[in-house]
Amino acid sequence: MTQLNERIELEAPLSGDFQAVIRLIIGGIAERVDFAFEEIDDLQLAVERLLAEVGQAGSVALSFEVGEGRIRTRVGPLPERALAALRDGDQRPGVLTLRRILQTVVDSFGVEQVDEGQIVVRLEKLKGMP
Amino acid sequence: MNAPDRRAAVSPEQAREEDRALLRRYHGADDTTAREELIERHLPLVRSLARRYSGRGESLEDIEQVGAIGLIKAIDRFDLSRDVSLATYATPNIVGEIKRHFRDKGWAIRVPRALQELNASMSGAIERLTGRLGRSPSIAEIADELKTTPEEVLEAMEVGSAYSTVSLSSGPGGEDELDPLETIGGEDHEFERSEHRAALEPALDRLAPREREILRMRFEEGLPQTQIASRVGLSQMHVSRLIRKSLQVMREELLR
Repeated sequence: MTQLNERIELEAPLSGDFQAVIRLIIGGIAERVDFAFEEIDDLQLAVERLLAEVGQAGSVALSFEVGEGRIRTRVGPLPERALAALRDGDQRPGVLTLRRILQTVVDSFGVEQVDEGQIVVRLEKLKGMP
Repeated sequence: MNAPDRRAAVSPEQAREEDRALLRRYHGADDTTAREELIERHLPLVRSLARRYSGRGESLEDIEQVGAIGLIKAIDRFDLSRDVSLATYATPNIVGEIKRHFRDKGWAIRVPRALQELNASMSGAIERLTGRLGRSPSIAEIADELKTTPEEVLEAMEVGSAYSTVSLSSGPGGEDELDPLETIGGEDHEFERSEHRAALEPALDRLAPREREILRMRFEEGLPQTQIASRVGLSQMHVSRLIRKSLQVMREELLR
C-alpha cells in the first residue's frame, strides 16, 4: 500500500463564501498528485456534500494526507446527524442518499471517530480508479 | 453537403413545406428519423443565434448545445394546426433556452473576464484531450493545452462551479415544458416513492427531466461524466455543473 507522506490541514468557516476556497484548495492538492479533472471534481463534490450536512454556521477542519496517486481526506467535526445520512443504505432506484453519492465519487469512506455527538468522516480517493 | 447548402438550393416556401412534411411524420407517425432530420436542418439557425451570445464567458460550442435543446423543444411542441414556420416558432425557444442558461449561471457580472474566457476555452480543451487521451485529462495536461498554468486552470474550474441560485426558485424551467431528454434512458418512475425518503420526491420534482436523468446516469448507472456528456450531448464541464446544481437544489428543497 502506498504510504501517505504529506499532510495538509485547514480550518475553514462553513459560510458559503468559503466553500469556493475549500474547493480551490482541494483542486490544488489533487493537482499535485496528478488527479484527472473528473477525479478532482469527484473529490470536491464529496466534500461539498458532506459540508452541506453541517450547515453554514461555525467552522470545519479538513485534513489531507497525500501519497502517490491517492488522497485521504478527513472532514470534521460533523454533527452526529450526518451519521444517519451516511448509514442510509437505501439502494432502490431513485433514492439518492449521501451514502450513494459518496459511494459513486470516492473509492471508500468511513466514520473514523465518534466523540461527544460529533464525527469525522474519512474519504479515500485514488487516481485512475474506474 | 451540410444543411445550409441543401436549404439554399430550395425556396423558403419549399423549405417550409419540407419542414411541415417532416413534422407530420414525426408528430403523426412518431417517426424519430424525421425529428432528427428537422434538428439537422435547423442547426444552422441555432448556430446563428448562438453566435449573438458568444464572448460572454461561455464557449460557442456550449451555447450551441444549449440552443439545440431549445430547438428540440420547439420541434416537440410544434402545433401543426398553426400557420407558422418552424424557424419562426423555434427562434424564441432557442433564444429563451440560451438566455435561461446565462441567467442560471449568473456569473457574468462577478467573474473577471480573463477567467471567464479561460473557463470557456477549457470546455473545448477537455473534450479534445479526452478524445485524444481516451481518459479525463489532468490539470497539467489542460494547462499545457491552453498554454497557461495549472493554478489558472484550477481558478477557472472554480469559476465554472460558480452559479447563481436563480434556478432554485424558478423551477425546472417552464411549467409545462417538455424536455427532450425525457425520452432518453430511464423514466422518472425510477425515482419511485420511498417510505423512508418520501421527502426526496418533491426535491426531485424541482429538477428538470434532463437533470434527473443526468443524476440517474451518474449515481445509479455509475457512469463517468465523460460518458454522460457524450450521451446527452453536453460538455463534461456542463454535466459537472448540472450535477452540482441539482444536488444543491435537492438539498435546499429538503431543508424547506
